[in-house]
Amino acid sequence: MKRAMWLKSIGLTSVFLAGAVLTACGDDGNNAVDGGVNGDGDGEEEVTVRLTGWQSSPTEQRYLEETIEAFEEEYPHINVQMDTIADQYMDVLQTRLIGGEAADVFFLDAFEAPRLIEAGVLEPLDSYVTEEFDVDDFEEPLIEAFRRDGQLWGLPKDTSTLALFYNKDHFEEAGIDTPPETWEEMEEMAKTLTVDNRYGLGIVTDLARLYFIAESQGGEVTVDNQANFTDPNVIDALQPIVDMKNEKEIAASPADVGAEWGGDMFGTERASMIIEGNWMIEFMEDAFPDVNYGVVEVPTINDNKGTMAYTVSYSMNEASEQKEEAWQLIEFLTGKEGMEIWTSSGLALPSRQSVAESLEYTDEAIYEPFIEGTSYATVWADDTNLPIINSNFENQFVSAFLGDQELEEAMEEAERVANNEIDN
Amino acid sequence: MAKWKLSKSQLRETGQGYLFMSPAILTIVVFLIGPILFALFLAFNRVNLLGDVSFDFVWFDNFTRMANDERALIALKNTAFYVGIVVPVQTILALVLASSLNAGMKGEKWFRVIYFLPTLTSSAVLVMIFMWMYRPDGLINTLLSGVGLPTYNWVNDPSVALISIMIMNIWATAPFFMVIYLAALQDIPDSLYEAAELDGASGIQKFWHVTVPLLRPVTAFAVIMGIIGTFQLFDQSYMFSGGSGGPNNSTLTVVLLIYQYAFSNNQMGYAAALAVALALIILTATLIQRKLQKDEQVY
Repeated sequence: MKRAMWLKSIGLTSVFLAGAVLTACGDDGNNAVDGGVNGDGDGEEEVTVRLTGWQSSPTEQRYLEETIEAFEEEYPHINVQMDTIADQYMDVLQTRLIGGEAADVFFLDAFEAPRLIEAGVLEPLDSYVTEEFDVDDFEEPLIEAFRRDGQLWGLPKDTSTLALFYNKDHFEEAGIDTPPETWEEMEEMAKTLTVDNRYGLGIVTDLARLYFIAESQGGEVTVDNQANFTDPNVIDALQPIVDMKNEKEIAASPADVGAEWGGDMFGTERASMIIEGNWMIEFMEDAFPDVNYGVVEVPTINDNKGTMAYTVSYSMNEASEQKEEAWQLIEFLTGKEGMEIWTSSGLALPSRQSVAESLEYTDEAIYEPFIEGTSYATVWADDTNLPIINSNFENQFVSAFLGDQELEEAMEEAERVANNEIDN
Repeated sequence: MAKWKLSKSQLRETGQGYLFMSPAILTIVVFLIGPILFALFLAFNRVNLLGDVSFDFVWFDNFTRMANDERALIALKNTAFYVGIVVPVQTILALVLASSLNAGMKGEKWFRVIYFLPTLTSSAVLVMIFMWMYRPDGLINTLLSGVGLPTYNWVNDPSVALISIMIMNIWATAPFFMVIYLAALQDIPDSLYEAAELDGASGIQKFWHVTVPLLRPVTAFAVIMGIIGTFQLFDQSYMFSGGSGGPNNSTLTVVLLIYQYAFSNNQMGYAAALAVALALIILTATLIQRKLQKDEQVY
């Protein structure tokens, strides 16, 4: 009993008490105004802008630091203080926002954005945007993900899309010359490619990956901010995925083979094909340089091209005390110059058309399918309830994928539980 | 009657007493009583902390909502299953380990240290090591297939994921109770065993009729602490599932659900209501246990 209470006291005090205390301290610390003590001569006070994000690799960190350095050179009076949240980004960010301790500028995934916009913790950016900044240059679907109630709440820093990775050596062994162009071809090849300890196709069972497939037969996964998994068109579209795993036994998920994620599964050659994002290119180079692979666009379903696009914005904290400088940082990072430095890594693709055109990657053939994809991709973003819809889908789809229940049953259950949770 | 009025010296004495206690009282009020009262307050409100902070008093809405909350029921079922298996197994295992160590083997002290090591390991480290051993091609499956037993996808199969956590926790917690049993075993006077021997009792009879009854207070302690600890399972299932309680809600526990509602879904009021409900469940379980084992309480 006592310990149960302790648990609560820890949880609650950390949010309320500590949060309140930290706010008080933080406000003094944040500004870090030097007050011209250094006597730089330009008369401007030195200002510290805090930036929070995540980091998926040291290379990514290096490129971001490089971009920020370029910014600091251009704005010598602004000092950017970057910190990364390693895990459970949204939980930590939300807790910091509640405690008044969040940074001035932070990364925000399009998928999570509506909830924060609705909560009113973001600063609308419309009034800051200048003609010169050229908002129309951003890919429309990407920037659309951060528009709500006629206002702009973030600027997409970059995008990532999915494409089909295939192992060239396995293809050669199986006597297949060209990678698949249609979904039927891919299934056919997966069958040929499956050998005893290796699957033809690796499938990541997240809704974030399957969304475009689920909607490929004309169904809609969400309607009016509620789950709509039982739409027969959605079930029909997803059924082939489940069949490939259970009936045909030519596909598996990374977890089935004990791999951490798709890249791990593909790199250790436990799958000959997998639909993954452009982030995998760098990973393969680092971890599995010997795997001989190629990349093509995601095979067409019913002659329609499709893929997913993910995007993350720089958004501004409504409670920021140096909004002008924070905007200058966002403006630079999502401006043409900053985006060019940042996306030259190839870890993420530019969200501005002009940058996408001017940027040249050394390994063009590998990047092309991803860049092509941006023009027809479905953006992973919907409305405030997408996180709830997503987690319920995952929970139930996995059990259908494992063969524990029929897909239709699983989707009924997922829809019921999700909408029940939403109504509460 | 007269007692209500305190004399000056009595007042001063009382005042002094409270003055000396004030650091402790202050700490308890700020870190224990305050949060408990605040949690109770939250449990009856619909709370929004993000953006415009609001507290709407909603009477028992948060509690009635639980009855319809599928995931709360799954979490409770998982937790109850977990408690039902882990508490008896770890208590029995602790008793067996302690008795074997008390039998006067050679190198007894070394074994005591070795057995105790898992308890000293941080649970995060433990989970990392176990998740690695639980991989489909990991140590445990290799050993199982080596002796011709079936292998499992320990972490990702919804039907075994919770059992994987149980095995891990029993292994880690049993030694803690073993040490307590060991101390108690050494307190049992030899004369009782001698008397039993004179009556012609066998080793097993001595264990059942002398050792076990005399250890009852310690067993009660082990069971109650076990119930409290297991009902609060959080860190292992959080790490196992990356915070989701998956696969297929199979590792979702009550405390993990509370965490999700409080920190991911921004529903602090409902989370507090769940926490209050959990506290009541633990209280009830403990009271039932005390009722069943009335005599010789030592805690």
